[in-house]
Amino acid sequence: MDHTSDYTNFHMDAIREVGNIGTGNAATALSRLLGRTVDMDVPVAELVPIYEVAAHYGAPEMPVCAVLVRTEEEFSCSLIFMIEEEKANLLADLIIPMDISGMDEESQLQIRDSALSEQGNIILGAFLNALSQITGWVLPTTTPAVARDMLGSIMDLVASMFGVIGDSAMLVKTSLHVKDLDSELGGTVIMIPDPGALEALLSKLGVL
Amino acid sequence: MAQPIHVGMADLVVSKHPATLITLGLGSCIGLVIYDQMSKTTGMVHIMLPDSREVKNIPKPGKFADTAVPLLLEELARLGANRSQLRAKMAGGAQMFSMPGKDSAIFAVGTRNVEATTKMLAAEGIRIVASDVGGSKGRSVEFSTETMKFIVKTLGSGTKEL
Repeated sequence: MDHTSDYTNFHMDAIREVGNIGTGNAATALSRLLGRTVDMDVPVAELVPIYEVAAHYGAPEMPVCAVLVRTEEEFSCSLIFMIEEEKANLLADLIIPMDISGMDEESQLQIRDSALSEQGNIILGAFLNALSQITGWVLPTTTPAVARDMLGSIMDLVASMFGVIGDSAMLVKTSLHVKDLDSELGGTVIMIPDPGALEALLSKLGVL
Repeated sequence: MAQPIHVGMADLVVSKHPATLITLGLGSCIGLVIYDQMSKTTGMVHIMLPDSREVKNIPKPGKFADTAVPLLLEELARLGANRSQLRAKMAGGAQMFSMPGKDSAIFAVGTRNVEATTKMLAAEGIRIVASDVGGSKGRSVEFSTETMKFIVKTLGSGTKEL
């Protein structure tokens, strides 16, 4: 199989299940970190032409915050946790143990980015832990990288990463929602397997 | 101003005056404009990756720098542009994520896009008269045949006119 559009419903179900277990684990980890209830949506796994990836997630110029980690040993992929920037700041503030509103903007940004990087790391690490339990693979993560940018620009990179393999992107879209807050905080997990990695995963799961 | 035409990922659009071409949220990709001031013809392409050589099936030539540039020139010629008058402006090729100790090819795709596009333009003898490339921030771009200016917007640091 050298092209992602060859995937069948059977493969999609398997990937969706990975997304399901991964997100469940991520929700539990975030809930433990925040001491709050975290809900998740049923994950959606779909094949989208890479040319439509950006539009798939929302308005291209919406400011978002994205945390990226990679795992590169037995299975190589990139994982992104993406959340609207405004919500990202509220999420970060939940684990910042002091009032930072009096500080200058640059310091606030740094503290929030560091909190988000930790939250993203916990969410994506938990996602990978679930994958590790299913497959038996050891999946260490890299240090997380944080970007604040337009949604379109983040998805532009995501589309290019998929574009190396073919013309479709396998998007596993799952959302986490933090409850008991005035405004609901939701973010999305996106898994981007490196070339060949999705086949390795499907084969490991016994569906290829 | 003409109704703006959105140039999506790997899209290639050419037009005569009046035209406004826009691309929202370029990240690692390149927004390349080539225009002929005299005949007022212009074209924009949204390049995603540097190199098509290992790829067998290319449904959208705008996807790769090495297939996008020749096709854009061909389309401009078809529209009546004078090859010797053609000039290029480009933006994009950002690296939004940086990982300490990692120089993974995956994240450097923006840089490789800039290099490949620049090389293709040089090989075709097209002069780049303005560019805003690299860095760590995404861009939205707009080009109008009215002014032949390239307007580049970056989140948090405003608008530049090239």
